[in-house]
Amino acid sequence: MLPRLKRFADVLVGDKAEGKALLRRALMRMLADQHRYQRGTPLDRWAFAEIYGLWLHELRDHADPLRQAKASDTDFERLFHQGQGADFDALTAGFLGHLPPQQRSTLLLVYGEGFDHEDAGRVLDSSPDTIAARLIRASASLADRLGSSAPTPASATIETLFPKGPQDHNDRAQ
Amino acid sequence: MTELSDELLVAYVDGQLARAQTRAVERVLEQDDVIARRVDALKQAHGRLESAFEAILAGEVSEVMAAQPMAPPPALRSRGNGLVKVGLATVGIGLALAALVAGYGWPLVVPDLLATPPSSPQQQQQAVAPPLAPQRPQQAVAAPPAPQQQQVAAAPPTWQEQAARAHALLSRATVEVGLESQGNQDLVAFQIAQAIGPAVKLPDLKAQGLKFVRAQLLRYGDKPLAQMLYLGVAKDPLALYAMRGGGGSSGPLFRQEGAIGSMSWREDGIAYLLAGEEEEAVLSRLVEKIRNEPSAPDMPPPPPPRLEPQLSQAPADPAISPSAAESPPTASDPLATGSTPAPQQASPEPAAGPQSGPAPTP
Repeated sequence: MLPRLKRFADVLVGDKAEGKALLRRALMRMLADQHRYQRGTPLDRWAFAEIYGLWLHELRDHADPLRQAKASDTDFERLFHQGQGADFDALTAGFLGHLPPQQRSTLLLVYGEGFDHEDAGRVLDSSPDTIAARLIRASASLADRLGSSAPTPASATIETLFPKGPQDHNDRAQ
Repeated sequence: MTELSDELLVAYVDGQLARAQTRAVERVLEQDDVIARRVDALKQAHGRLESAFEAILAGEVSEVMAAQPMAPPPALRSRGNGLVKVGLATVGIGLALAALVAGYGWPLVVPDLLATPPSSPQQQQQAVAPPLAPQRPQQAVAAPPAPQQQQVAAAPPTWQEQAARAHALLSRATVEVGLESQGNQDLVAFQIAQAIGPAVKLPDLKAQGLKFVRAQLLRYGDKPLAQMLYLGVAKDPLALYAMRGGGGSSGPLFRQEGAIGSMSWREDGIAYLLAGEEEEAVLSRLVEKIRNEPSAPDMPPPPPPRLEPQLSQAPADPAISPSAAESPPTASDPLATGSTPAPQQASPEPAAGPQSGPAPTP
């Protein structure tokens, strides 16, 4: 469980050292406030929620939280295991690194942890609809990037409205 | 010409659609190349995201495996106002750490997450660079303590603890199904599909020397967990577990827990675990076979009177209470009460007032 918590903290912060420090503080707080743990709550959900809550609380103390929430490309790429035989997916890493932390965390909880939308929403204190919306936005955006080498429409709906592509439609309109 | 939104297509790729909706989308995919290309791109995106998160987890695991034993938190060392206070604090931390690792079999040694941050350059180097020879957790526990560090090692679980942990997987559905229904593998497959999802598999492994014996429905938290048991000629049973979780597919991952080897993977929105006293190569071959198997049959169930209530409809038994670490959230679940900070969308904003985690139990 500890590596899972560490991964969550790292992905949330976007930096390995900062993620470790955040997890350390969150664990200390959980240990100190263990009386707040409610029997019946899955421990991993509680731990993820505590990490996220602490991160958000600390972020609010900064004068410029938006700037603090941004992760640098190099720091984020260091999160990926690049051992022997491990393939590094630079495109996906770059994509994730530029996402807002909440969207990264949503993707991690659903696609990395296998949480359903309700559980992910509880951890991130969001509604299941918000979780679903984040997944759709991020998946569609990454799919667009993957299809950018071969022309792929940004949306299937748009493509079907303009079967030969929006550009062709515009040309004909002119 | 068909219009399908990304919302629907992402739900399809994630395995969130009902069977009828899935079939409708698949019919469209057969006729519309544009939609099919979009779905391929979404599947590729999904697969890449899963692989990326697995790569990050692999880094974390290797880091933990190579980590030094845990030093006690600095606060405890500095706040030594008396033996009683220190003792109580230590017991509390021990309980919390035990709860943290209980049920997951995670390493008995926690790395330096709770240790004092490195101050000197030498300490910083040590913190960044793992030891040349990675130390397995069990070995670390047995090793003598470092001069200025204390080790916190959990005792091996007693049989009572292991039994209680296993008991948490039982539900009413586990024992309410008539035994004779196990003779009809199609019926069993259908019942499992009802509980777990239409894409779940009940593979035929006779060609691999494994005979299907029985299946039962367990639970993990509030989610149904199917267990399918197979028996070979000589060894202990091999179990295939299936639980609805996440979406899409991911490659198999091998783990060794004592004598038990296991392979876990995700396929069509179902998470699988194949476990038994087998080598990795044997399990890999079995996983390959299972992944090539078709899903559970799509047929209406015959109405045998002994099968009521059906697997997916069996009520939870409050008398069989799971452990604290694995039980499902309740209506008073602190995570559901919104005691964590207000939801933030793409960009967090400062807000007044201190934040607190889940509310304490009244």
